[in-house]
Amino acid sequence: MVNADEDKSAYSIQTVDLTKVFAKKKHRGVLGFLRRNVEKEKSKSEGGEAVTIALDRVNLKVQSGELFGLLGPNGAGKTTLVKCLATILIPDGGTAVVNGYDVLKETTMVRASIGLVVGGERTLYWKLTARDNLMYFASLYKMPRKEAKNRVNELLEMMDLLDRADERLEDYSTGMRQKIAIARALLHNPPILLLDEPTLGLDPTFSRQIRNQIRGLCRDEGKTILLATHYMYEADEMCDRIAIINNGQIAVVDSSNRLKAMVKERELVEVACVNPPVGIEAELKAMCKDVDIVTLIQGDEAKSTPSRIKIIGEGAEEHIGTVIDALRRKKVQITSLNVGMPTLEDVFIKLTGGAKLTEGGEAETERHEAQ
Amino acid sequence: MTQSSLRSNYFVVWSEVTKNLKFLSAYPIVFVFWAIFPIFWFIPFILQGQALVGGLTSQAFAQVAGTPEFIPFVVIGSVLNSYVLSSLYGMGESIRREAYQGTLDYVLASPCNKSFILIGKALSESFTSTIFAFSQLIISILFFGIELTIGVIMPILFILVLLILGLYGIALVLAALSLRFKQAHDLAHSLEYVFYLFSPVRYPVESLPLWAQAIGKLLPLTYALIAVRSLMLLKQGIAAIYIEIGALVIIDTALVLVGFYLFNWMENKTKKSGTISQY
Repeated sequence: MVNADEDKSAYSIQTVDLTKVFAKKKHRGVLGFLRRNVEKEKSKSEGGEAVTIALDRVNLKVQSGELFGLLGPNGAGKTTLVKCLATILIPDGGTAVVNGYDVLKETTMVRASIGLVVGGERTLYWKLTARDNLMYFASLYKMPRKEAKNRVNELLEMMDLLDRADERLEDYSTGMRQKIAIARALLHNPPILLLDEPTLGLDPTFSRQIRNQIRGLCRDEGKTILLATHYMYEADEMCDRIAIINNGQIAVVDSSNRLKAMVKERELVEVACVNPPVGIEAELKAMCKDVDIVTLIQGDEAKSTPSRIKIIGEGAEEHIGTVIDALRRKKVQITSLNVGMPTLEDVFIKLTGGAKLTEGGEAETERHEAQ
Repeated sequence: MTQSSLRSNYFVVWSEVTKNLKFLSAYPIVFVFWAIFPIFWFIPFILQGQALVGGLTSQAFAQVAGTPEFIPFVVIGSVLNSYVLSSLYGMGESIRREAYQGTLDYVLASPCNKSFILIGKALSESFTSTIFAFSQLIISILFFGIELTIGVIMPILFILVLLILGLYGIALVLAALSLRFKQAHDLAHSLEYVFYLFSPVRYPVESLPLWAQAIGKLLPLTYALIAVRSLMLLKQGIAAIYIEIGALVIIDTALVLVGFYLFNWMENKTKKSGTISQY
């Protein structure tokens, strides 16, 4: 429980031991339903049901006007946390307070306090125009009609889409639809924005535009922003503080610089290669036992993104020869070799025990680096 | 409720209705269907009736129905049943469509009262079924000599509103089941035949065995049909149908309360299980 003595409004967002558990669905269809019920009885008699812990006693404090990053791989619990804060999901344990309102007891006030971007472009009515979409959602936020009309025009202008306001969204590009999704979140001018992967699937130009807009909303309008992302550079560049989340648990919360300082004394060797064979990671780990981390980040052949082997820790450089020999023996093509200081990604790898980053995240990282 | 909140709630209902009508206008082929389908809907029943009784009137039919005219009897059944069909399929499908489009999360995470969104959905469905019903009625007046005097229009509209309210309760139940089970189409289909069988859509309720009549008395369509036929065919005044009106009010209240309770319960249940936006 949030301490009664503590001022609830001291933080824009505060969670205490927030927990969300989902029952595992192994079987589908009629037979699945019957089997599931049999298993349910069985697991009950064995003292428990098969579950996934999506959020495991999450404690967060986000200050007013802060751009707060929630960084984690897919399935880490980012969207679940955002949905719990947005009252779309009901948590199973703990408490969450948004803008001073309890997400369980004061849902209407929480909803009026937040602007939500989750699920991207698919969450709009594609058969309606941009203006119709925004007018509809403005009505759900109890905005008077005249005020809604003005606000919609203002936001369309801000998104540089006023001239296409009366076109159906099915004729928009992905990036344009995402801009409308952000405009929707801003309709009622909420003090808090919950943004879940707002640049997912966007090209570099739109990504940059949207990142600039998010930064501007925080800097110029003083909005509190919770930005859930799996893009390292996005969190690194934009956020005042970052929480790294993995398997539903917050591993650490700090500023990007301080997080990087956690591993900065260490050496980093990064070998980029094409199609490394299965099992190479375990093999290299066995060869480089004295370093802290040896991890393989899978690339994406379709996007010409190479895989990367990272060796982090004191004496990492001494293992360059060993790694290259091992890869050559397996006839793996090496495309580059870098020796340097660890980045936020390496902090992430260290804290999550080498949790795999997604292909999308890597591709985006590469693209960003190329800009 | 303050004037501004009343106005904002009206804006929610209005926006929901216009949104749904704009969806319809995105698929113009629907209007062609609406123009043709009403004709095919009840003509087979009329022809079947004619074949059975050997003409447009029947004394045997009059003994159970109170009127010898089979065609107006069937037309009224068909027109009112249009509202049943749109209620059974409309709202559940609308909720399912929102989930499929990915908009359901946003609709349910907005601070407005969800009842007004649901009322908006129900009104859009009623709008489409009213057009459907009017098409049938116009065809009946033009081609089958159905009489509709001005004096009975208001009482009929009153009965229609009561019918729609009860059907709205059933639609809420189906929408709630759509939230939980992701589709309620088959249940709606089964309910459609429950209405056909136990309500006097094509035959008088007296034709049913007593146990079936008892089930029919739980359905709002039964009372609406008896009331409208009394007004139109038996030329009775509104005082003669006070029992039907009373029954409709009681059934409507029960259905709407159960509908809202079930919808809120299912919404919470799916928010807890994390399946609310699945489809």
